[in-house]
Amino acid sequence: MRRFTYYEPESLKEAIALLEKNGETARLLAGGTDLIVEIKQEKKSPDHLVSLRRIPGLQEMDFSDGELCIGAMVTHRMIEKAELIRDKYSLLADAVDNLGSVQVRNVATIGGNICNAAPSADTAAPLVALGARLVVEGPAGERQIPIDEFFKGPGKTDLGAGEILRCIRIPALPQGAGSCYIKHARRKAMDLPLLGIAVIIVPDANMVCREARIALSLAGPKPFRAEQAEAFVTGKPLSEEVWKQAGEIAVGESNPRSSFRTTAAYRRKMIGTLIPRAAAVSLQRVNRAWMKG
Amino acid sequence: MAKTLEPKTKEMEFTSIGQRVPKLDAWDKVQGKTMYIHDVKLPRMLHGKILWSKYAHARIVSIDTSKAEQLPGVRAVITGYNTPEIRCGFIKDNPVLKKDKVRQYRDEVAAVAADTPEIAEEAIKLIDVVYEELPGVFDPEEAMQEGAPLIHEDKGSNVLKLPWKMICGDVEEGRKQADYIVEETYKLPFVTHCCLGTSGCIAQFDAKGNLTVYSPTQIRYLAQKDFQEALNALGLKGKKVKVIQTAIGGGFGSKLDTYPFEFITILLAYYTGRPVKLVYSREEEFFASPGRQPVRAKISQGCTKEGKLTFRDVEMILDNGAYTSWGATTPSVMMMPISSLYQVPNIRYVAKCVHTNNIYSTAMRGYGNPQATFAIESQLDTLAEKAGIDPWEFRMINRNKPGEITPQKFEVGSCGMKECLEAVKEKLQWDEKRGKGNGRGVGIASLIHVGGGARIYKSDGCGTILKLDDFGKVSLLTSASDMGQGSETVLAQIVAEELGLHVEDVDVIMKDTNLEIWDAGAHASRSTFVAGNSALYAARKAKEEILEFAATMLKEPKENLYLRDRMLYSRNNPEVSMTIDKLLRAAHFRTNGRQIVVSEFYDPPTQMLDREMKGNFSAAYTYGVHGVEVEVDKETGQIKILKMVIAMDVGRAINPMAVEGQLEGGGAMGLGYSLMEELHLEKGKVLNGNFLDYKIMTFPDMPPIESVIVETYDEKGPFGAKGIGEPPLVGSAPAIANAVWDALGVRIRELPITPEKIVAALEGKKGS
Ligand SMILES: Cc1cc2nc3c(=O)[nH]c(=O)nc-3n(C[C@H](O)[C@H](O)[C@H](O)COP(=O)(O)OP(=O)(O)OC[C@H]3O[C@@H](n4cnc5c(N)ncnc54)[C@H](O)[C@@H]3O)c2cc1C
Repeated sequence: MRRFTYYEPESLKEAIALLEKNGETARLLAGGTDLIVEIKQEKKSPDHLVSLRRIPGLQEMDFSDGELCIGAMVTHRMIEKAELIRDKYSLLADAVDNLGSVQVRNVATIGGNICNAAPSADTAAPLVALGARLVVEGPAGERQIPIDEFFKGPGKTDLGAGEILRCIRIPALPQGAGSCYIKHARRKAMDLPLLGIAVIIVPDANMVCREARIALSLAGPKPFRAEQAEAFVTGKPLSEEVWKQAGEIAVGESNPRSSFRTTAAYRRKMIGTLIPRAAAVSLQRVNRAWMKG
Repeated sequence: MAKTLEPKTKEMEFTSIGQRVPKLDAWDKVQGKTMYIHDVKLPRMLHGKILWSKYAHARIVSIDTSKAEQLPGVRAVITGYNTPEIRCGFIKDNPVLKKDKVRQYRDEVAAVAADTPEIAEEAIKLIDVVYEELPGVFDPEEAMQEGAPLIHEDKGSNVLKLPWKMICGDVEEGRKQADYIVEETYKLPFVTHCCLGTSGCIAQFDAKGNLTVYSPTQIRYLAQKDFQEALNALGLKGKKVKVIQTAIGGGFGSKLDTYPFEFITILLAYYTGRPVKLVYSREEEFFASPGRQPVRAKISQGCTKEGKLTFRDVEMILDNGAYTSWGATTPSVMMMPISSLYQVPNIRYVAKCVHTNNIYSTAMRGYGNPQATFAIESQLDTLAEKAGIDPWEFRMINRNKPGEITPQKFEVGSCGMKECLEAVKEKLQWDEKRGKGNGRGVGIASLIHVGGGARIYKSDGCGTILKLDDFGKVSLLTSASDMGQGSETVLAQIVAEELGLHVEDVDVIMKDTNLEIWDAGAHASRSTFVAGNSALYAARKAKEEILEFAATMLKEPKENLYLRDRMLYSRNNPEVSMTIDKLLRAAHFRTNGRQIVVSEFYDPPTQMLDREMKGNFSAAYTYGVHGVEVEVDKETGQIKILKMVIAMDVGRAINPMAVEGQLEGGGAMGLGYSLMEELHLEKGKVLNGNFLDYKIMTFPDMPPIESVIVETYDEKGPFGAKGIGEPPLVGSAPAIANAVWDALGVRIRELPITPEKIVAALEGKKGS
């Protein structure tokens, strides 16, 4: 393992300056659950590690004007414990429920999960479905990136030199939305998904689909919305049959790969199988929300 | 459920035996106070590191170590070219540092000793090796074909000259008698032990050239012998070797042989004149510590209309990998279930071990038994169905019975197979749950394993020394090894019981080949039985001495005296009573007095297998039955284990809590083997050598395990006990495969039983 210098800047400005000064040889450190492992495996060998832990404000969650803002340093455990997220953004709560283990969730952050851009990142598909916007600060000031433009492929993001993710803004969901994320994995804990399925449903009073969002991870090189399947469902009654067909359409939009972890064929079959299941759970949650009034 | 063993007299009511004594080593372990090899530091100690091969099969053209040698802090760089040849493995086909050729990715090409692990690692990267790649062979069946690349040119063939064969009765006759026959092929993967403590050792020479090796080995004395041979190769004939066993962070068979890394550490210590420590990283542990050997088994069995088995015919091919360790001898144990699980009159078994450029294999809990039992017990369900007989009834019809002699000439003493079958049937609610289909199912599988040692070496013995001190405490020096299975605790209970003391009065010492006697190692589930009897007989000798002295001193007939609760009592005379410590002091502090020290060497009354591979090679046999209830998601293929019942005939549970620990631990390991464990190799290279991609069960994945302890009291065992270390994982996989069959009507013949395989099988069923 390579030696490195460790910094704990106390402001974003200071952190950006450190990144600028050290260029390619510097890396940001959040919880370290991805980065430190990669350094130990010698997949990355930065000379400078810039920790974000002492920068104020990055660990905050804020809900105002219907918009949720999650700081980049918010841990998965904080998300798991946030009642508001479980109620209103159930799919995000689903995503962290089985992420790693409690020990991992206590240190791992949502910012790290997104910026690491692993195809298996559990929060990716939910955030894509939610249409999140990433607020990034860099040498040239602040900019916002829609999440589907952020991922550029496995391990690659739109972040430029010296840029730091500050927070993730999640627009309000339409009234009466229900959502669900299914992590399809071999084990119940300490496992990465073989497939991630995020569904959001917004029905009207007659249970006709007003809006549907389907986001998939590991169904292609980066997380994406299954737009044809979404279009197919929209305007149709929310029946099992409709969702089965939507699942099949999404299979056609996917391009999963085979590895020793599983086969492309199995992944395809699971896309078709799990989209209707995610939809069914989302629908139950709609109903529950209504009953709650 | 357990058949209770009535105490015969008042003083026979046990105080330690049968008690739920928490493992004596548990407190230190959970507080991080236990000294594992990783924790041991010696003065002036250096750190060793190995350079592994970059190819599965290649000629070594040249090795340039000059850059590594110049790195500050590097104390020695060794290769096969600058050290004397040392070979390891029981047929010595594995040079510890490779010369001329590498045959697998985990081949040791060079090694370094340096001041720090970091420098050693850096130095390894500075070694330049030029290879010329050779075509490899990675499939044992391809390796057997004419013209396949030879792994060892000098052997002339990839098929190991170790043909396994056993014939009992006449299989052709058995086929004729059968009304139903099933023939199938089963396939089992590479898996590995996943010990929490990775492999490692420290080697140290004293000024006179005597060697001390600190090692978490399961075989102190056999390792001592192997290391002695290494000294001969170094020209140090006549020098002494001592093995000091550090706490074992899991063994499961992985530490049952000696391996190149140990000899490399010895070489590094020799050339530097300083202690050298070499410990595997987790990644190294995955690819460079041998695991369980993959098996392809062609099996057929037949039965009459009444359901009596008439024959069993098994052919196996084992992937031996590049070199030979104990993996190649697992057919000797596979013979046991093949010949003796259920009453089968006619048996044929042949097995071939074939070299490939894959990693090689060694012993792993069950030692071949899980592979063989998976094939036998899975197929029994198919056969039962063909014969129209309930699988549980089918097993009852063919079950083993106390006192029988099996076709392989095993003399079965106690046998609780019937009790185990009945217990599992009841706990699983077999009759209500079975045959419902609909995604839920139940399955069972039985097993047999050695429970009274196994005469693999000419001696299957184990020694004990007992020293009774002036405070009524006992030092129990045993040559057994505790790798977590609880031998320390069980041996202390046995001695405490016999001497009328408490468990905490006994200090168990098991660590140094100079201190203890000899032992064949912690294998074959033998420690409770063999080391237990050794300790028991030693304690009897000590008791005899105590009572004799007390009889003279107190002028009471010896037959009337007994020890209990740290006291001496007389059966007839309530006036007579004395604390044991006082008695021991009285025996010591007098003219011609002495402390009581006794020794015992116990070798069980067994036979080596003869040329036909027959003979009573264990003094007792353990039986057990696994039962599971599963729920399978027909769309995703995911299996949920709703319930797992493990019923084992342990003769007597010396410590029921420890037995449950074995049952639950074995159950977890068995579930992993059944459902998710597999080392994926691509052209000899391990692809998933980490805990993310090599899946073992986690706590949330574990179903509740119900342990049923059946006690049949085995005449030969210590207080009636039989071994139970390996059996609890043996029957898991076939029980699950049988439950999946009951749930879905698909038969999975290849482990692990993954969702992908279930989905594919269901699609195949729909298609046909
Ligand atoms: C045992 C274990 C189990 C795991 N299980 C799961 C799982 O189930 N699901 C899952 O999705 N992941 C899992 N992971 C991966 C990991 O925990 C997550 O991806 C986690 O969210 C990463 O966050 P972190 O804070 O640890 O990131 P770090 O490791 O600190 O950083 C990751 C990367 O993001 C960059 N980065 C971090 N923060 C910022 C920022 N604010 N701006 C710009 N760049 C930034 C870093 O430079 C680095 O390149 C697991 C990891 C381990 C070790």
